[in-house]
Amino acid sequence: MKKRYWRCFVCNDIHYGIAPPELCPTCKVLHAYVEISAEEARKILGGGPDTTMAREDFRAAIGRFTVGNEFEVNPDADKVDLLLTGIFENEKNHGFKFCPCRLRTKDWEEDLKLVCPCNFIIHETYKGIKDGECWCGLFARRK
Amino acid sequence: MSHIVMFFGRECPHCKKMHPLIDKLEKETPVRFERLEVWHDEKNADLMRSYREAIAPKCGNQLRVPTFVNTETKDAMCGEVDFEKLKDWALKQA
Repeated sequence: MKKRYWRCFVCNDIHYGIAPPELCPTCKVLHAYVEISAEEARKILGGGPDTTMAREDFRAAIGRFTVGNEFEVNPDADKVDLLLTGIFENEKNHGFKFCPCRLRTKDWEEDLKLVCPCNFIIHETYKGIKDGECWCGLFARRK
Repeated sequence: MSHIVMFFGRECPHCKKMHPLIDKLEKETPVRFERLEVWHDEKNADLMRSYREAIAPKCGNQLRVPTFVNTETKDAMCGEVDFEKLKDWALKQA
């Protein structure tokens, strides 16, 4: 099924998915999403606040992302620093925060799977492994 | 002697760990690796993509680094491995 764009008619939240959320997570209105074009979605998102994310902002964001999850940002600070350098180099050179330990294929859908954080829960280096890590090692199972 | 390529990423910690093991292997044996960086060199990246059929089945169906490829037999090995495993695989290619 193809993902499409949806806009909350109350607060203008944008959702990208195969179906709209029943409840708008921002304004809490039920059944508030209407389908819009990709161009409309880009215009709305492009006119929003400056969302450029500095390295330390991203580090803090992924830290918050792990709260309540069974994984954490890898305690190996050197490894994390090297990976953050790669992630930001990739964003500068290739447009997205691509994983430095995999190569983009130039297929849009495939390459979205490489944007950090990726869905590493399914990686064979993590799934069912006691000391599992995502492929690059940025995230590790919480001890 | 077979032509073995190591595809690596400059900011990949697993690749970083493999470099000294390859230095050691090259000192101890006649095996030689051509090391090609793929995130900062699009020509190298395209070369790695051209070996997708050989690499992906060994690499979670993706193009992951580090990956080692015998460009003649298309045998590939993926990921960070210990010295003995690297040596076994490399000598098998000779």
